[in-house]
Amino acid sequence: MGKISVYRFLSAGCNGCDVQILECLVPRYRLANLGVEVVEKPEEANVLVLTGGVNVKGREYLLKTYEAIKPPKIVVAVGNCALTKEIFDKGYPMVGPPDQIIPVNYYIPGCPPRPQAIVKAIADILGVKIEEVEDYWQAPEGFRGKHEFDSEKCIGCGACAQICTADAIDVIDGPDKRIIRVNYGHCSFCAFCQDECPTQALRLTREYHLVTGDKERARVTNEVGLLSCAICGGVFFPEKQIDWALKRITLEKIPTYGEFSGEILDAMKVCTKCRRNIGNIRKAKGLLSKLSEKVRR
Amino acid sequence: MPETVYIGPYRPQLVEPERFELLVEDGRIIDARLELGYMHRGIEKLFTTKTYMQNLALAERICGICSGIHTLCYAQTVERLMGIEVPERAKYLRCIYMELERLHSHYLWFGILAHSLHEHEAFLKIMGERERIQDLLEYLTGNRINYLINTIGGVRRDITPEKAEKIRKALRELKPLSDYIMSLLGDNGAFTKKIRGVGVLPRDKALEVGAVGPTLRGSGIVSDIRKDDPYAAYDKLDFEIIVEKDGDVWAKALVRARETYESMKIIEQALDNLPPGEIAVKPGEPKVGEEIGRTEAPRGELVYYIRSNGTNIPERVKVRTPSYANNFAILEMLRGERLENARAVIESIDPCFACTDRVTIVDTKTGKRKIVSLKQG
Ligand code: SF4
Ligand code: SF4
Repeated sequence: MGKISVYRFLSAGCNGCDVQILECLVPRYRLANLGVEVVEKPEEANVLVLTGGVNVKGREYLLKTYEAIKPPKIVVAVGNCALTKEIFDKGYPMVGPPDQIIPVNYYIPGCPPRPQAIVKAIADILGVKIEEVEDYWQAPEGFRGKHEFDSEKCIGCGACAQICTADAIDVIDGPDKRIIRVNYGHCSFCAFCQDECPTQALRLTREYHLVTGDKERARVTNEVGLLSCAICGGVFFPEKQIDWALKRITLEKIPTYGEFSGEILDAMKVCTKCRRNIGNIRKAKGLLSKLSEKVRR
Repeated sequence: MPETVYIGPYRPQLVEPERFELLVEDGRIIDARLELGYMHRGIEKLFTTKTYMQNLALAERICGICSGIHTLCYAQTVERLMGIEVPERAKYLRCIYMELERLHSHYLWFGILAHSLHEHEAFLKIMGERERIQDLLEYLTGNRINYLINTIGGVRRDITPEKAEKIRKALRELKPLSDYIMSLLGDNGAFTKKIRGVGVLPRDKALEVGAVGPTLRGSGIVSDIRKDDPYAAYDKLDFEIIVEKDGDVWAKALVRARETYESMKIIEQALDNLPPGEIAVKPGEPKVGEEIGRTEAPRGELVYYIRSNGTNIPERVKVRTPSYANNFAILEMLRGERLENARAVIESIDPCFACTDRVTIVDTKTGKRKIVSLKQG
């Protein structure tokens, strides 16, 4: 498409994304060279840039604004609030995300996305290539961008999902495998998941060009095998997590337990329900007394 | 014949984007009213559904401009509930990060002011130079905004000597920007002409409406939480509270401009005297009870109240942001002002960038609405 005129609309975000959009206007990004201008009236715009997850008071204004935009009426959702309402997801006044209210063509994940990501996404939409030569196009070391799993290391424990500040990580158990799914379009990029991961399997990378036409694709997943209970056969635990726990006990914490690793493993392979069975409680007690004997000596 | 003029509601800014209803006669504002809620996200309720740790990310997203100070104020209050003492080094680091934030926030404010005064060149220059500090924050914390650098018990990232050098270099490069802004506010400065004598908030009115931060200091009142109720390492750092007495938009701008030098001074001192040691301690268990914490955000006093029932989820979190307090100052400043100055007055309190630059005028006789640009008044 030719020249694009952008109108911005915010309802119920934190403002962070809007500041990034404003920063896109600084000379170094040469947005004007792409033929992009920011206009002050929706009637003058053919592109609508949205931020925020839309609350009850904003809904009506969003509809009106969308109506006023000129064809081809391209709608770009900037930032995770505009994708999924992110951390405000369960806020009582929230009625978005915007794509529940009007059609959205492109999504730019981030919290907030770097101005570089927004400029590049606009260039992509225009079909223009931009040279990312200057240093600032590279996200710095330690930047918190898109997630990456080391599937060798991930034990499927779900600690990341527990700590997640924005409910962005799902743990989905199937018949024989567990999927850990990071929805980075729902993520606050706090990196708590990275800090909390006991095996350093989950990492936030420096990748930040994440624009997509399908927000369902803003995901990173990992699969781990699930073990069934040695007694009832029900599915319950990631195999790798059991191996990991056993190694921690017998190799790192108390090496003298090594000779019992077989027995410990058997005990761990019993699901929580079967553990309550009286026979198993006795068995576990027996093992525990043997172990504490070992430590005392 | 007075007419009603609406500004907004699409003035996206902090927690409180507003709709102003102005009663205007002969181009002069005789009364002003304010309607809030366009940015309401139910955050205080959400606070009671997440753990103390998770709430850090939520606190930060109350405001995407001064996000860091929210996490600090929140963390300090929680630390009191948990009875934990933050390591000395972390206290200094907190001052460094928060003053960097004050710099970016104040520069942003000037960028917006330039925009609203139609000083396009100044806008580009200020915003362009400001990128240095955004790049720096991103390099130090991993994100340009919502950096989540403060945590319960300290900070999440250290400043190595190499990083300290980068900070010093950035400050050297930013000084000319502050000088440039000072020149815009000088006797013949481009800003001065447009904002001198505009939106005066007299000293007694400032106190009466409960203004905070540069809005209050611009009306001649010495008040700064960093001095009045010192937190982090502010009691060990030497800096001045900047006060201007005129009370107009110009005075508030001058307070901010002069504060950028103070922030640089604080950062340099903190870097020079950075004590060795840990940067964080482990969070503890919250006691049953309540605590109040306050900090000096770029826009003024920020207050957190947290009540705990001893679980890992707070029972109540109440936040009083500075902009909320200052909104009432805007109304005071608008009364008696000329309509064409309304935008500058509103922006003297807070940045606003998506302000649509138009107002709706309702003819009170016919009830007809027309839309005009603020420039035409
Ligand atoms: S996506 Fe993040 S930065 Fe953007 S408005 Fe939402 S909370 Fe703020
Ligand atoms: S960075 Fe990790 S923990 Fe933080 S919101 Fe994203 S997925 Fe959740």
